[in-house]
Amino acid sequence: MSAKLQTLRQNLEENLGGRVRSLVLDRGELTLQLAAADYLEVMQFLRDEPDFGFDQLIDLCGVDYAEHAGGASQHGRFAVVIHLLSTVQNTRLRIKLFIEDCDDLPRIASLCKIWPSADWYEREAFDLLGIVFVGHEDLRRILTDYDFSGHPLRKDFPVCGHVEMRYDPEQARVVYEPVSIIPRNNVPRVVREAAYGDQPDV
Amino acid sequence: MSIEGILHEGFITTSADKLINYARSGSVWPVSFGLACCAIEMMHTGMSRYDLDRFGMFFRPSPRQADLMIIAGTLTNKMAPALRRVYDQMAEPRWVISMGSCANGGGYYHNSYSVVRGCDRIVPVDIYIPGCPPTAEALLYGIIQLHNKIRRTNTIAR
Repeated sequence: MSAKLQTLRQNLEENLGGRVRSLVLDRGELTLQLAAADYLEVMQFLRDEPDFGFDQLIDLCGVDYAEHAGGASQHGRFAVVIHLLSTVQNTRLRIKLFIEDCDDLPRIASLCKIWPSADWYEREAFDLLGIVFVGHEDLRRILTDYDFSGHPLRKDFPVCGHVEMRYDPEQARVVYEPVSIIPRNNVPRVVREAAYGDQPDV
Repeated sequence: MSIEGILHEGFITTSADKLINYARSGSVWPVSFGLACCAIEMMHTGMSRYDLDRFGMFFRPSPRQADLMIIAGTLTNKMAPALRRVYDQMAEPRWVISMGSCANGGGYYHNSYSVVRGCDRIVPVDIYIPGCPPTAEALLYGIIQLHNKIRRTNTIAR
């Protein structure tokens, strides 16, 4: 397996050249980091080139690095992670790219034209993290309530939210009200000594 | 129990309340409202090992044919209007069992942005069953408590 990944790694380095930001092989998993500018072009290439043949998009998700150890990553606050599977070569590849121009509405190109399965994954990443996928045909919320506001997986979103629900007998319907509980501190009261469990200090 | 000399043999006398309560508690038909993992325990209770059929209980797919709603699982904000609508569609008399920590008060998800902190914020509840999830026996016990509650009611006002 590792030999196969080594070959894939070499192939990627040869074919993509300067478009590879980093290429890490760790624990039997290959992670390729790209720049947003080359994103669509490289993804199309990875699918169509017979040497790679990544014909399945397994997963697409967003990451918020706002409270990541060491502060927001120097690459940008939001990242998109994509897992690809080549059923032809029997290999898997993880693609990661940081969204560089990070205002409140991070934008990235949509993969729907290349892998139609990206549709709902991109809707989910938009719903929970507010990442806008440019070129997506139908970028609606997918998980949260119909008139929900905010993006709950962002680190600055309070866990208890902004509204809560109750049935109002006078209006004979379910109504939203401002949240009545106070946000709870969920940081564990455990101080780990340095090098806990032989882990390097972060 | 016929009153000798007054009624013919083969008749019994009882109060209308007792008869109505006997009929109601002996055929409580629940509407299936499984929302999460509690629904699995609800299925166990319904299937042959614990066998709700022997209490005259059959799960109905339509709220209009049901007397009881067992709210089994986490009630989210998105589901709450639908739950209320199903409850409103049930005919009187109707009862509600809140099954599990999530339905009772939000449970593990009490501090979440998307979960109703107790289904009694949406519908009136008769019986609360604690547990995460409650065992099939616990649900059965709650159902028996509901039967006792139904038998205690007086339909004809005094």
